[in-house]
Amino acid sequence: MNRNYIFLTILMIILAAGTVFLTMDSEPKQIEPEELLQEIIQPTRYVSTDQVAKMIIQGDPSLMLVDVRSEEEFAKYSLPRSINIPIKNLLSDGNLGYFGVPGTKVVFISDDDIKADQMWVFVKRLGFGSTYVMKGGLNCWMQTIIDPERPSDDAPYKDFETYTFRKGAQMYFTGAGADVPDASKIDVLVRRREKTNIASGGC
Amino acid sequence: MHIHELNPWRTLIALSIFVIILVIGFLTMPKPQLTFEKSISESVDALEESEAYFYPWQLEDIINDKPDNVVLFDIRDNFIFGQGHIPGAENLSANVLSQKDNIERMKELRDMGVTVVLYGEDELQANGPWMLYRQIGFNNVKLLKGGYSYFKAHKDDLASTKNDEGYKTGLPRYDYAKMAAPKDGAALNIESENKPVQIRRREKTNVAAGGC
Repeated sequence: MNRNYIFLTILMIILAAGTVFLTMDSEPKQIEPEELLQEIIQPTRYVSTDQVAKMIIQGDPSLMLVDVRSEEEFAKYSLPRSINIPIKNLLSDGNLGYFGVPGTKVVFISDDDIKADQMWVFVKRLGFGSTYVMKGGLNCWMQTIIDPERPSDDAPYKDFETYTFRKGAQMYFTGAGADVPDASKIDVLVRRREKTNIASGGC
Repeated sequence: MHIHELNPWRTLIALSIFVIILVIGFLTMPKPQLTFEKSISESVDALEESEAYFYPWQLEDIINDKPDNVVLFDIRDNFIFGQGHIPGAENLSANVLSQKDNIERMKELRDMGVTVVLYGEDELQANGPWMLYRQIGFNNVKLLKGGYSYFKAHKDDLASTKNDEGYKTGLPRYDYAKMAAPKDGAALNIESENKPVQIRRREKTNVAAGGC
């Protein structure tokens, strides 16, 4: 009888020792490689600088910009309302708490899009959704938002619409030359009015 | 008196069967086809290794000599591949990368010690698949710097790209702070509260224009 109890005790101790090995796994929870590959080959994670600018300007509360450059670079220049998580610090300082918050969109930003994309892969591997990469990164931000190029006069109307938006965004982000964009904006508006007049006259 | 005290052996047998079932269960657990060989922090460090990349000037030897120990995989669509690709490259579209026989093929190439170079239209396109392969233990997979577009622009003089900065990534191309500094000397606070109003007004003018 006693021998049985001893046997049971030993068995329980062995099983309990097994749980030590279960908690040894210090890696956070992550998704399967196949699932990650499926996610990687979808190009849906890219957002344009225009979309990001629009969300910042509209004060979209669900937007969270995560700058993955180094601390020094971040200190020199960063987008409004962005936070800094260099790739190396992803797993430290409770930085993972920023991801997976319901109802938020996380957009990764770097000089171009490679580092941001790498960050995206790691965060995806950890199983977090609603994460995006700003295509072109800050270099593209400078080209399109901070210093937009005026489309040629025979460019499609859509280009002018984008340009008008970018000029407005430029004013918002830099307070730059309010006169010039205003003039060009009126130009475009006048042209459109004339067109609609002609169209209605034809009816 | 407990029931097992009537027949101590019965308890022992039941326990043994229980343990055996547990052991069999663990041993026959289905092994996933792919597993992460590198932890996330290891993978972060591995991004810095220069041997993980393939540089545009190295393509010159590949194109001329066609060595057996290097394979170029073009991960763009079959249609785009047909319109032009690096000579000697094979098409392995991104959407068939995870198919079983392609992974088997990659494993064969790895075991044969063949270097696999992945490229897409730009470096970004192949970046994700390349990272994944490195993370699941394919250390023979390299990423072509600059991608196809850079190769296409420099294919006549690949050797000179050794000193070119054009394909390098992760570099600021502008002085951001200077470029985005408030113009006209006005110290403008971006987060000031009256800013969004300005934007709303701009949207109104659009609506008005549409109504005309």
